[in-house]
Amino acid sequence: MKTSLHAPLLVLVAALVPPAQAEPPAQPHAPGIESKGYVWNQQDPELARLLARKGDPDKGKISYEICRGCHKADAAGKPEAGYPQLAGQHPAVLIKQMVDVRAGRRDSPKMHPFIEHDVVASNELADIAAYLHGLPVPASNGKGDGRQPDLGRHLYDRDCASCHGAHGEGDGAKFYPRVAGQHYNYLYRETLESRDKGRRNSNPEMVMVLKHYVDSDVAAVSDYMSRLVPPAKP
Amino acid sequence: MKTAQTRALALIALCGGFAAAAMAAQAVKGDPAKGKALAAEACASCHGPNGNSEVPAFPKLAGQQESYLLQELADYKSGARANEIMTPLVAGLSEQDMADLAAFFAKQDSSDGVVTNPALLAMGKRVYLQGNDKNGVPSCDGCHEENGEGSKRFPRVAGQHTEYTLEQMKQYATGKRTNGKKVMRTVAERLTDEEAKAVAEYMASLK
Repeated sequence: MKTSLHAPLLVLVAALVPPAQAEPPAQPHAPGIESKGYVWNQQDPELARLLARKGDPDKGKISYEICRGCHKADAAGKPEAGYPQLAGQHPAVLIKQMVDVRAGRRDSPKMHPFIEHDVVASNELADIAAYLHGLPVPASNGKGDGRQPDLGRHLYDRDCASCHGAHGEGDGAKFYPRVAGQHYNYLYRETLESRDKGRRNSNPEMVMVLKHYVDSDVAAVSDYMSRLVPPAKP
Repeated sequence: MKTAQTRALALIALCGGFAAAAMAAQAVKGDPAKGKALAAEACASCHGPNGNSEVPAFPKLAGQQESYLLQELADYKSGARANEIMTPLVAGLSEQDMADLAAFFAKQDSSDGVVTNPALLAMGKRVYLQGNDKNGVPSCDGCHEENGEGSKRFPRVAGQHTEYTLEQMKQYATGKRTNGKKVMRTVAERLTDEEAKAVAEYMASLK
């Protein structure tokens, strides 16, 4: 048989050829909130450079193609999959999160291969962020069960509004994400992860606030955030 | 403060820079007529006279994105894409030849693909349009477009032979094929064997 005849030769060749890189590079690991001396948003050189750069939304639209398979063409994400809604988010927030995933301060093995340096050039991050920021925020995001609206409002107004804004509009200058119109599933998961320090690039101030939240508090406040609608810009 | 003169000079320099960049990108413009003649001689025996190969192991090139054709030829030539059949064939091609071939094949109409296992089409459609959230497979339409026509950055997959598509996925998953945008290695690795087969069938069915 042909195969057996060539088998010894193949073994020899296989031994000489360096093993192929089947696996995409694993996500690196950078120190985060679990590490001593962690400073939130300690300026990563890539983050600092990109924040100073004006993104080009037209180029960003093209660069964003590689993200559409999960975050979809309208950047509405997929609530059932936990893929966040990105349309209308602050560029600084988007850039920070992308840089943190690249650097390994935010663990996302699912997303990392699609955002690593080999795949997306550094400047493209600023372009993608500029493009996404300009997209209309879809109103059909995933909501929570709506069972504890009063608790949700109470917690949000007491603990969250001072940073994320009365209407969930966030503050790009301070890296506070817009939470209004985000999918409930995503908000719930990420808030729990922040509380439990699994989201390693979290703001320690937020983690302090969340310390006393039980899961049902997180559910109520996530539900409330998912239903927020900031007033239209003039 | 800048004077009007220095501003004008800066503007001229800027325009010159743009012109140079544009020329570099369009260094060689493909001539489809020359490409046709060259294809008849160098490519037709495997890929068919118009790039509609009839052998499932050899990819259809008709209607493929010009940018992709050009990139793959260049990658065969540089060795970035390894293939024992293609490597010696592209060795003698000039940049102009490759541009001509790409221009020719991109303009041909792709023939309809052959679905070899229709039972897999429903699953293939689901993976193609929705991905698989559990194993982190993005939907294929994100890059290859809903009808599989591809774009300037991503190849056409519509109507392609399932055997060829599957072989490429296997090569990506095992690290044998490493050229391109580096995301297919992840996608192919995450797809189950059945999903890969199903999506290849669905791609073949796209027009």
